[in-house]
Amino acid sequence: MTLADYMTVSALLFLIGVFGALTRRNIIGILMSIELMFNAANLNLAAFDRFLHPEGLIGQTLAIFTITVAAAEIVVGLALLLAIYRNTDTTYVEDFHLLKG
Amino acid sequence: MLEHIVFYSLSAVVLLSALAVVTLKNTVHSSLMLGLSLAGVAGLYAALGADFLFAAQIMVYVSGIAVLVMFVVMLLGRASDLHLRQVNEYWVAALAVCGVASVGLLRLAGARSATFAAAAAQPGTRIIGRLFLGEYLLPFELISLLLLAALLGAVFFTHKESAS
Repeated sequence: MTLADYMTVSALLFLIGVFGALTRRNIIGILMSIELMFNAANLNLAAFDRFLHPEGLIGQTLAIFTITVAAAEIVVGLALLLAIYRNTDTTYVEDFHLLKG
Repeated sequence: MLEHIVFYSLSAVVLLSALAVVTLKNTVHSSLMLGLSLAGVAGLYAALGADFLFAAQIMVYVSGIAVLVMFVVMLLGRASDLHLRQVNEYWVAALAVCGVASVGLLRLAGARSATFAAAAAQPGTRIIGRLFLGEYLLPFELISLLLLAALLGAVFFTHKESAS
């Protein structure tokens, strides 16, 4: 396998995530698409480590940091979603216009 | 040969389940597919020889985040959601954006089509541990603060205010 194969898979996964984040109406769907994008970035970091810098493993260390930030992000996102749902009674993003006046 | 079979089957699992995540109408199904896709990415880490990352992916993503998302989906889901459109009216524009971006990204990937792995993958947990407690000590401590802040934020946002 070459680096190009892993980069292709990761690029396609990222694009699927972008498409989902742009088109889903449900905010949980958007959060799931963002997780897919995080995973594409992590996969790229691990592949760079394996093919370009096999001695240092700095890419994998960065990927661990990314996983932690992603976990924090999804926890806060879902907590916010629960708070918004309690106020607006919906999970569809077009209906979130509390700040519109 | 075996490497090729493993890589292509894992990639197929990852990409098809990711497509299912963004296209399925039922959010419960797409959260299940998210778990499958994340498990497939863990398999790709194993194929890359990233052992610690594989374990972290299984523990944090597949058994943490996917379950958490599923929990919230089932908490907030309604029967009427199954009859509503889950994709907004801009999907053609989004598809165009993805198509334009794919040209650049795939060309970037194609430039590396002659890069092969130099040597067999070594176990990396020891090296990563030394990096965490040596060169990357400050980010490591900062990330623990971030986790604490996320914990407090989650408690704060979901806390129901008492009538006062």
